[in-house]
Amino acid sequence: MWINMGPQHPMTHGLWNLRVKIDGEVILDCDPEMGYLHRGIEKISEDRHYNEVVTLMDRTCYVAGFAWEHLYILASEDALHIVPPERAEYIRVMCEEFQRIGSHLMWYAAFVQDLGLMTPFLYGMRDRDIVLDLFQSYSGARMTYEYMRVGGVRNDMPPGFSAHARRALDWLSDRFVEYDRLCLGSEIFRKRCDGLGVLKASDCVATGVTGPMLRSAGMRRDVRRDRPYSVYPQLDFEVAVADGADVTGRYLVRMEEMRQSIRIIRQILDWLDHHPGPVLADRLPRWLGAPYAPVGKEDYVLKRNYPKGVGLSSIEEPHGEAQAYVVNEGSEHPYRVKFRSPVFANISAARHYLIGYRVADIPPIMGSVDVCVGEVDR
Amino acid sequence: MSDPVTATEKSSDNPILWVAKPMVTAARQFAKSLVRPSTVIYPYERLEDPKFRDQVRIESGKPIGVGPIWDNYRGVHALNIATCISCNLCAFSCPDLCIEMVTVPGGDPKHPKKCPQIDYGKCSYCGFCSDACPEGCLTMTTRYELSVTKRSEMVYSPQKMFGIYEQKLPMHPIRVERPANEDQILLEPPLCIGCNACARDCPTQCITMLDIPKPEAKAGEKVPKRIWKEPVVNDSDCVRCGTCINVCPKECLFWGNRK
Repeated sequence: MWINMGPQHPMTHGLWNLRVKIDGEVILDCDPEMGYLHRGIEKISEDRHYNEVVTLMDRTCYVAGFAWEHLYILASEDALHIVPPERAEYIRVMCEEFQRIGSHLMWYAAFVQDLGLMTPFLYGMRDRDIVLDLFQSYSGARMTYEYMRVGGVRNDMPPGFSAHARRALDWLSDRFVEYDRLCLGSEIFRKRCDGLGVLKASDCVATGVTGPMLRSAGMRRDVRRDRPYSVYPQLDFEVAVADGADVTGRYLVRMEEMRQSIRIIRQILDWLDHHPGPVLADRLPRWLGAPYAPVGKEDYVLKRNYPKGVGLSSIEEPHGEAQAYVVNEGSEHPYRVKFRSPVFANISAARHYLIGYRVADIPPIMGSVDVCVGEVDR
Repeated sequence: MSDPVTATEKSSDNPILWVAKPMVTAARQFAKSLVRPSTVIYPYERLEDPKFRDQVRIESGKPIGVGPIWDNYRGVHALNIATCISCNLCAFSCPDLCIEMVTVPGGDPKHPKKCPQIDYGKCSYCGFCSDACPEGCLTMTTRYELSVTKRSEMVYSPQKMFGIYEQKLPMHPIRVERPANEDQILLEPPLCIGCNACARDCPTQCITMLDIPKPEAKAGEKVPKRIWKEPVVNDSDCVRCGTCINVCPKECLFWGNRK
């Protein structure tokens, strides 16, 4: 019998449909259907200035907006041959790592709620609010930041930010102990999650699964380490891996990643304290929209002389490896924008980690994948 | 190379402890929350209320958890009509096309003063408009309550935004440093007819029409019929809004760099 779990279902965390073929309680086959949240972001991007696309990137993945902004900005700077100041790069990486903590806390809250635990859900959401407060203190918004620009970032940190951020990090690192006590210390949690949704490393590679799912299978793959971008080569951190390849393994990897993110952010805050400077590159082409002046018909004289190019970037997004491709044909709009979403690959491989388990196991398994439908459908 | 992560917390063999251990953690948090709640009882308590801020700052054990709302929150706009120069840059920079320039009283009848009118049904609060404003008259405030009963009330007229300005809400202390703009308005002299349109419509009045000598008629050639004047742009006053380029009937003005 085929049953539809979705498009409106507490398990899906967004709009998508998981069709499952069952015999009694056992899953025989499954078929994920995406596309309910398609907004045409890649096509709209072709009609916007380079900087205006950033407003769409926050809405691509609404729990990891900074990671997607960084991804797009890296690709367009590659295409436009613009080098940002070093301080801007450090700030961007700090945003991305804070976003990783925020996204993983959001995942933690949603995942434990799938298991029926309400208390850790409240703790996760409460602590994510601290990260959002920090975002609001310098970008001016809690979810739709619109903070990064081609050639830098919008503004520098407000005074006193470093002290606030350090206190927030201290607070957060104490909370992780509490999370582990609540989840790993509970035999009910362990019995529910151990050995569930096993996806072996070979299957991960065959299906293009990346991120914490791949690392929980024991493979030490992380774009930040393998193909370092931005200022990651200067930073000291470990790639978190686990052995189980199951739901508990993904939990452990994400928790360890948050600890590593805190370690990275502490290094960046130290660097930012001692290296003041500009955060936006000067001598940007006017028609980029960087100084927000209108682009008129007369700009073709300047644009004609500007070098064309193709930009490619890949970053370690909280969910996995994301890639962006931007084509600069010498106009104020990107000619083509294309994204690779990690979650799309992760839930497309559902057949490999769902078949053989029971219907009641679907919420914990799909919860451990960390689905964000906004970036799947774009 | 770090070792694979393993579970540090081990559960006990005693089934009663399976439930009791997490419950102890939750009970500790519950006891804390009685003294320092993490919640804000909106609308009775508000984060932007200075009294509540002080209270929270003192009592909250959290670093910033329910701390003060920061003053650079991007909320509803405030507009100072008096300093607005009608340069249109906010409307140009809006990605959602929600800004319309409407006439406000105060300009001379021939060239009415135009100020932005914002449709909050479309606005995405990206802040590009307030970043673009050269005079700092369009800013974003910490005001976030927008519920209305009619869709037409979502459109805020310049006068309504001036009302918000007069409330003197905290206003976005972080001003974006605009990169040095080296582009200038340049003129292609043979095309110019000296019509004065650019100088007339310039919002900062940085264009002056200077007399140029009328050339002598050569044999077999006609002197073109035109006004013998040419625009000269004062670069230090120019806000690069592009109005002059758009109104030029002969398309003789363009962006360029003399260096």
